[in-house]
Amino acid sequence: MHNVWLIAKREYLERIRTKAFLVMTVLIPLLMIGGIVGTAIAGRSQQSNSHIAVVSPDLDLATDLQKELEHGRNSKMLVDVISPAAADTRTVLDSELSNRQLDGYLWITAQKTTGARPTFTYTPRSRADIVTRGTIVEALSTVLTREGLAHKGMGSADVDALMAPVRLDSSQAGKNDSSEGAFYSAYVLFFLMYFVIMLYGMNVARSIIEEKTSRIFEVLLATIRPEEMMAGKVIGVGSVGLTQVGIWLLTAVILTATPLVSRLTGADVHVALSATQIVFFLIYFLLGYLLYSSIAAALGAMTNSEQELQQLNMFLVLPLALCMFGLGFVIPNSDGLVARVMSMTPFFAPLIMYMRISIKMPPVWEIGVSITLTVATIWAILWVASRIYRVGILMYGKKPNVSEVLRWLKYS
Amino acid sequence: MAAGFAPIVELVDVSKSYDTKKAVRGVSLRIEPGTMFGLLGPNGSGKTSSIRMMIGITVPDSGEVRLFGQPFTRAALKRVGYLPEERGLYKKMKVLDQLVFLGQLHGLSARTAETRAQGWCERMEITEAMPKKTEELSKGMQQKIQFIASLLHEPELIIMDEPFSGLDPVNGKLLQDTLVELRAAGKAIVFSTHRMDQAEKLCDSMALISRGEVVLSGAMREVKGLYPRNRVEVLFEGDDSFLRHPSIAEVTNYSGHAEIRLKTVDGVEPDAQPLLAEAVGRGTRILRFEVKEPTLEEIFIEKVGSGGLEQVETDRRTAVTRGAVHA
Repeated sequence: MHNVWLIAKREYLERIRTKAFLVMTVLIPLLMIGGIVGTAIAGRSQQSNSHIAVVSPDLDLATDLQKELEHGRNSKMLVDVISPAAADTRTVLDSELSNRQLDGYLWITAQKTTGARPTFTYTPRSRADIVTRGTIVEALSTVLTREGLAHKGMGSADVDALMAPVRLDSSQAGKNDSSEGAFYSAYVLFFLMYFVIMLYGMNVARSIIEEKTSRIFEVLLATIRPEEMMAGKVIGVGSVGLTQVGIWLLTAVILTATPLVSRLTGADVHVALSATQIVFFLIYFLLGYLLYSSIAAALGAMTNSEQELQQLNMFLVLPLALCMFGLGFVIPNSDGLVARVMSMTPFFAPLIMYMRISIKMPPVWEIGVSITLTVATIWAILWVASRIYRVGILMYGKKPNVSEVLRWLKYS
Repeated sequence: MAAGFAPIVELVDVSKSYDTKKAVRGVSLRIEPGTMFGLLGPNGSGKTSSIRMMIGITVPDSGEVRLFGQPFTRAALKRVGYLPEERGLYKKMKVLDQLVFLGQLHGLSARTAETRAQGWCERMEITEAMPKKTEELSKGMQQKIQFIASLLHEPELIIMDEPFSGLDPVNGKLLQDTLVELRAAGKAIVFSTHRMDQAEKLCDSMALISRGEVVLSGAMREVKGLYPRNRVEVLFEGDDSFLRHPSIAEVTNYSGHAEIRLKTVDGVEPDAQPLLAEAVGRGTRILRFEVKEPTLEEIFIEKVGSGGLEQVETDRRTAVTRGAVHA
C-alpha cells in the first residue's frame, strides 16, 4: 500500500502543479459565472421597460392599462395616458417617437355599438421590439377580462382572486426544495460527471503511454508490482479530478449562496442541491471514474502512442455517449423500463442512476443492485486490466490484436 | 554476505519464451558475492531477458531464479539496484524530486533519500543539475541520474544493462571507477555489454550468451586463456622478410599490410615481441604494430559460427516483445 500511496502522491502533485490544471480549474468556473450572469441578463431583458403613451377615449380603461403595464408581473414600463385625444395628439406623438422620447404609442378607438370591443393600434418606434408588443397584448387582455367580469357584476376582490396566477407545486412529496432548481443542478452535475470521467479517464491512459514512451516503468517495475503502479495512477489522477470538481462545486455554491450574483443580475439564482444529491453524486462519480479509468488503463497499456489510443477511444466514449443518449428516455420517465434497465447496467449505472436519483428517488433495492453490479464490474475490469497492463507495458512496436491480448491474460 | 558460499544470483536452467520465440533456453549462471560479472553477447541474444528475470519483471517459464541464496521473492528487490537498458525518468520532474521519489520506492525515508541523492550528485559532478527538470539535461547527465537512482538505497546487488552505452570517455571512466569502488566495498555487480575490452578490464567472471543459450562462461582469466591474443596486424614499408619468422603460424600480406596469426603452444598467449624485434632488426620501417584483442565477434564466430550473428536479424522480425529482441 505504501508504494500505491507514493505513486498516487507523485501523480497528484505533478498534475496539480501543471498549467493545464490551473487553466482548467479557473476557466470552468469563469464559464460557469458567465453562464449564470448571461442567463440572468437574458432573462431580465424579457421584461419590457419601454416608455409608451396610451391614447384612449375611455379614461378608466387607459388608467387600468397603465396600472397593469407599470406594476404588472412582467413589465416595468413607463406609461403616459392621454384621454381623450386632442386634434394634434397623433402629430405630437409621432414627433416624440422620432425624437426617441417615446418607444411607441397605443391608440384605442371606441366602437360605435356599445358593448363591442374597442380597436387597438400600436405604433412602435422599432418593429423589432416584440417584447413590448407582447407585454401590451398580455396586459390588454388582462385588463379587458377584468373589465368584462366587473361589467357582469362581479366584485373587484373576486375578480382579483380569479385573475391571480396559478401556482403549480411540483416539489417531491415530503420535501420543500424547489424541484425545478434541483433538476437543473442535477442536469449540470450529470454533464460535469460525464465530462470529468471522460477527461480523467483519458488522462490515465495518456499518463500510462507517457510512462511507456519515457521508459520509466521499467525502473518502477524493478521495485513495485504492475498492479500497484496501476492502482497508484488511477487513484492519483482520480484525486486530481475530485479536487477539480470540488473546487468547481464550491465556487458554484459560494457564488449562488451569496447575494453577489443576484445583486449583479437582479435575478434570483441559486444552486439547489440536497445533501442526498451530493452524497450520491460522489458515490456514482467515484464508481464511474474507477470503471472508465480502469478501461482506460488497459487501453493505455495496449497502445504505444496517442494516435493509437485515439483508435481505441470508442471503448471509452461509446458507453458514455450511450448514457447521454439514454438521458432522452430517462428524463421524461425516470421509472420507465429503459431508465430502470440502464440504471442497473454497470457501464451506464453511474450516470443514469445518479440522474434517476436526482429526478425521483428509485427503490432502494435498485440502487443496491446498481452499486453492487458496478463494483463487481470494476473488480473484473481491474483484474483484466492489470494483466493487460503487466504484459502490455513491456510491449513496444506493433499494436496487439485481440487474440494476442487474450493470450496476455494467461501470462502470469 | 555472512553465508559466504551462497551465490548472490543463481539462475538454474532458466527458460523464457515469448509467443513462438524462445528468448532464453536453459540458462544457468552463478554470480558470487564481491565480484563483477559480465553478461556478453550481441543484440538479441537474451541478455536483457535474463536480466529481467533476475529482478522479477518477467517470470521464467521453467527453471529457478535465486537471489541471495533464497528462491526469488519481491521482498529481496529492496536489496537490488537496477539500471535498465532503456533509461527512463520522468521528463517534467525536477532531478532531486525524482531521486527522492525513486529512493522512497526502495524503502528510504524522504530525508535519507535526499541526503544521499545530494551526496551522489556531488560525487558524480552534477550538483548544478539538481534543481533542473530532467528534460533540460543532456543524455549523459540523465544517464548519471539514472545510475544514481539505482544506487541510492545502497543495494548489495547491482544489476546494470549496458551501463556504458552513450557515455563519453570521461563519464564512462567515472562510472567505471564507481563500480570498481562498489565492488571493493563488497557489492556484487552484474552488467551486460557488447564490448569485450570493457568486460575484460572490469569483470572477474563472465558469460557469453548466443541465441538464448550460454555458450561460454567462467572466470575471466580462464576464458582469456581459451582465446589467446595471437593476432597481429602490421603496417610497414620496405623489407617484408620478417614475415618468415618462426613464431608465425599464418600470414596474409597485402603489400605493406600484413595480418598475422602467431603459433599458440598449450593455450599460452604467444609473445609478439620477438617478431617486432626481428622486423626492426631487418631495417623494416614499422608504421603500426598491433597485437589484436580477440573481439567479441571473433570469439563469437569461433564459438558458434557466423550464422549466430545473422540469426539476430531474423529473430528481431519475428519477436513480439522487445524483451525478446534486445538481449
